[in-house]
Amino acid sequence: MSSDRALLEVRNLTVDYVGDNSIARAVDGIDFDIREGEAFGLAGESGCGKSTVAFALARLTRLPGLVSGGEVRLDGQDVLKFDKARLKAYRWREVSFVFQSAMNALNPVIPISEQLIDVMETHEPGLSKEEARKRAIDLFDLVGIPPARLDEFAHQFSGGMRQRICIAIALALKPRLIIMDEPTTALDVVVQRDIIEQIVELKNRLGFSVLFITHDLGLMIEFCDRIGVMYSGELVEVAPSGSILTNPQHPYTRALGNSFPPLTGPRVRLEGISGTPPRLTDLPPGCRFAPRCPHAMPICHTQAPELRFYPQHQSEAACHLLN
Amino acid sequence: MIFLARRLVFYFAAFVLAITFNFLIPRLMPGSPSDRIIASFQGRLSESQVAAIRRSYGFDGNLWEQYITYVQSVFRLDFGISTVQFPEPTAALLFYGAQWTLVLVGLAIFLAFFIGSFMGIHAAWNRGGFFDSFFTPINVMMNAFTPAIVALLLFYAFSLQLKWFPLGRAHDPNLMQNWFDLKFVGSVLYHATLPVLSILLVSFGGWHLGMRNVMINLLNEDFVVLARAKGLSENRIKYRYVARNAILPQITSLALSIGFMLGGALVVEQVFNYPGLGKFTFTAIGARDYSFIQGQLLLLTCSVLVANLVSDIANVMLDPRLRGR
Repeated sequence: MSSDRALLEVRNLTVDYVGDNSIARAVDGIDFDIREGEAFGLAGESGCGKSTVAFALARLTRLPGLVSGGEVRLDGQDVLKFDKARLKAYRWREVSFVFQSAMNALNPVIPISEQLIDVMETHEPGLSKEEARKRAIDLFDLVGIPPARLDEFAHQFSGGMRQRICIAIALALKPRLIIMDEPTTALDVVVQRDIIEQIVELKNRLGFSVLFITHDLGLMIEFCDRIGVMYSGELVEVAPSGSILTNPQHPYTRALGNSFPPLTGPRVRLEGISGTPPRLTDLPPGCRFAPRCPHAMPICHTQAPELRFYPQHQSEAACHLLN
Repeated sequence: MIFLARRLVFYFAAFVLAITFNFLIPRLMPGSPSDRIIASFQGRLSESQVAAIRRSYGFDGNLWEQYITYVQSVFRLDFGISTVQFPEPTAALLFYGAQWTLVLVGLAIFLAFFIGSFMGIHAAWNRGGFFDSFFTPINVMMNAFTPAIVALLLFYAFSLQLKWFPLGRAHDPNLMQNWFDLKFVGSVLYHATLPVLSILLVSFGGWHLGMRNVMINLLNEDFVVLARAKGLSENRIKYRYVARNAILPQITSLALSIGFMLGGALVVEQVFNYPGLGKFTFTAIGARDYSFIQGQLLLLTCSVLVANLVSDIANVMLDPRLRGR
């Protein structure tokens, strides 16, 4: 489904969290593209900056978070420089959002119908009440919830249904990109599968791109076309999902892959990754993974590697071992 | 509906319990009110006079008979005869005082609720901004005063010294009481200004702080972030998505304040010589006017119960999560 045309080009994106007298660089100059119709995954352990990237792309970063540099280009325009009017159109018409916890993403005291319709009315002022309602019914049909339940409240739905509702809301204006920040983490595995299958089906039908964030690497490999692996605020590898486990280039990617149990084949002892990620206020001078890396060389501790494209592997990676 | 029926049964039981206690308390104390009156005549009463006094205060017969008489009189809204304002029936005094207390405390509570809540919404929305850093501490400080101090200061400054406001009463005595007469209503508002202000000034800080804190917690909720991501207008997010939810606990507090409203504003009414329940109660306690105190206690109990019931109903109406099937 995906073409090679980039929908969103992220260049040197930098996000800081500003404290009283310290600055934590949560995202440090990352580059990647999300192509049209593509599902791009961002993987990495908690605190690596995946969600911070997602929020920055949607212009949702709020203090103490601060986007301090870089560009996010959509059709050649920098999203980060949008004025209020352009930003309003950008939000939801071009990029919509599905949150981790559908439990909290819906307002508990407003009927679901209103939460679906208000976004249409905000962005399409001429829309009649009947037309908006008809579209809300269609959206419920689309995600497989009986439209008769449109006027119910969030607490009357199960977790899986709530997440479907969130997806329906995300689809309300037929956006070009949907950012999904751990959309299935709060659900049990059976419901997870249903939801993912539904997203795949809708994506194939409607042709939107997806930025998919999760720490479930298995799920991500299945769903995404390409995957970026983040570590401590940097992208360490971007590769097609088919090769990220079978042919990982970066030691961190390899270690991450080894942390998941294989479903088939012999039982193996999981390795895990020794040590903890560095504190963002106290980063090592060279490669950030070097202190935990089993293959670290002297240069790794002094010079930070750059993300480079390696045609023989069809992937980008940032590691001195590859040079 | 089942919910409502259950609540109604509960409140009726609470009401019965309340009148029973109200009946028992004066009888458990040494020396009944009628004994005090009889004693004050120092033996100059005949047998039949003594019996008549006992009967009129509900102290003849055994305890059970007295209780039946009491309950009957409560449902007839007959609270006996006031001893302070003899021979006014206590019920008439209670309703006269309740009317002015409702004007005074009612105005103060509603103004405090609306002003305080709006300030809280604004402070939370621009947390750490000028409005928040300036008014939040000031309102908290104001909240620490008692109405008595503010009442005395306002009375001294604006009634005694500047003479901008009257020295007492609920309205101009030359005007007939007529709530459809704008002149009369104006006079009522004019007389209520300072007393209302002295309650208002010390109470809206509580609403401000309550609203602000609940709002700030809600601002980090995913559904608010989602509302922003949807590109909804600031005002829609602020009022429909955040304040709408933050108001729920405030409604419960409001109901409680309204319930205790009929307790009157004892000191404020005293300072401004305002003919509300608080002032009457103050006098009645000093003069041991049992029938008034008992009636006032019952009125207060009932208003707290009714306000709680209203709060239950309001909460069910405003919060779909509480609606049972």
